[in-house]
Amino acid sequence: MQATTVSRSVDVPARVSSWLRDVWPPLLTFVVVIALWEGAVRLFQIPLYLLPAPSQILETFLARPGYLLRIGLLTFTNALVGCAIGVTLGCLVAALCVRWRVVADGLVPLAVAASAVPIIALSPLMGIWLGSISPASKIAVVAVMTFFPTLVSVYRGLVSPRADALLLMRSYAAPQRVVFSHLRAPAALPFLFSALRVCATLSMIGAVVAEFFGGPQNALGVYIKTQAGILRTREAWAAILVACLYGLAFYVAVVLAERAAMPWKRGR
Amino acid sequence: MMHTAPIIEFDRVSKVYPSGGGPVTALHDVTLSIAAGEFIALIGPSGCGKSTLMRLIGDLEQPSAGTVRVKAKTPEQARRDRDYGIVFQAPVLYEWRTVRKNVELPLEIMGRPAEQRRERAMSLLRMVGLGDFAQAYPHQLSGGMQQRAAIARALSFSPSILLMDEPFGALDEITRERMQVELLSIWAESEPRPTVIFVTHSIPEAVFLADRVVVMSPRPGRVQRIVTIDLPRPRVFETREAPRFFSLVTEVREALRAVDNGR
Repeated sequence: MQATTVSRSVDVPARVSSWLRDVWPPLLTFVVVIALWEGAVRLFQIPLYLLPAPSQILETFLARPGYLLRIGLLTFTNALVGCAIGVTLGCLVAALCVRWRVVADGLVPLAVAASAVPIIALSPLMGIWLGSISPASKIAVVAVMTFFPTLVSVYRGLVSPRADALLLMRSYAAPQRVVFSHLRAPAALPFLFSALRVCATLSMIGAVVAEFFGGPQNALGVYIKTQAGILRTREAWAAILVACLYGLAFYVAVVLAERAAMPWKRGR
Repeated sequence: MMHTAPIIEFDRVSKVYPSGGGPVTALHDVTLSIAAGEFIALIGPSGCGKSTLMRLIGDLEQPSAGTVRVKAKTPEQARRDRDYGIVFQAPVLYEWRTVRKNVELPLEIMGRPAEQRRERAMSLLRMVGLGDFAQAYPHQLSGGMQQRAAIARALSFSPSILLMDEPFGALDEITRERMQVELLSIWAESEPRPTVIFVTHSIPEAVFLADRVVVMSPRPGRVQRIVTIDLPRPRVFETREAPRFFSLVTEVREALRAVDNGR
């Protein structure tokens, strides 16, 4: 008790300052890049249809934020559902791989290879199988995209405990179920979250790009494609901005969940 | 010291590992009997099979020939009955559990009620001087403190046998000597007092801690000599400065040198 009180009172200001130290370099870089972009567009008088300035994109977004966020939400829902399916299946199959190593021997190298393949290329085929307008085909693309990296990462996490840690369980005569719940699963948690970080990004990309191959009119990918097709670049960029916002929100949610789920990693 | 009936018995035990360059005999024809409540140190050069011997007792490995009996049972049965606590060279604390939760782990697996677990863990943590660190995570502790937590964890379910595989091997000399004194006082306070099998390659450590030092020789691993340590208990810091301590250290050292010459 005493130790935690002491460490807390010392850590809080230290933690805030270390957070600031972590945050300002990327923030500064972001501001500089945006300023350069804005400056270049104005200085070289780049035509609007080629590249609008950040201020114009923001203006376009602010003109009808409700509409853009709403169509974004539709796409984001596909991303979320697909990601949930892919990650859940990835975890389940990883657990099966630990129970039956034969499955792992056959599957894991394949999953590693599949992680390196542009699964997004499956989109048109998913459209044929599940209907190009229906959300099912988008969800399926995202599920397949997130399944493989989750499987690989979580499997590695589940088999990460060292021999001594497993011998300890053996000395307690712990049944396999307990070894899984008390050792393998918690050891895999950091691996799961690093997979989730990747999947958060991947799933938004997957959902938007899948819509390039067809989807309802009020979907973000379709909107970007149509607007770009008629050279309404500002509108396309504003929609891209919305995609970025959702993707970022997803990522931040994962990071927050990670911090909440793994208190022992804090303040390291 | 009076000893009761043997708790651990090795009867002509051998252990052979298959390897690329043909089978390697880690342990050859070992016969050894250990009394309940005894503190046994296993010492010898690398490859003498001292860790193998410890692991055979704990059913972490199985003999190739001969029999090991623990409390008149097979080591496997003894393991299933949770007769062993184990401490490795690395503390092997689970990083996602607080120090207290780590000490509670065996009790949790054995299905003890939460309140009882908590009390037992706290009293052990106070005993090893970690009462203030119950809520800390392992990475916030020094190496010596982590190892103390590992010892508390091994003692949590009051096993009748404590297997320790070079537990202080990774610590600096000063911490190590302090930990040896602490281990003996923890051991003396434990009720019932466990039988300890302590693997080490430090001669003074073996002499300071043990009732008997089992000197082993390599290739193939076998028992070379058993040196009885008649230093009075409780052993304290000053014990290391006693003339009898030095003569016993010399005796063990000579036994180890005989091992070298015999090769």
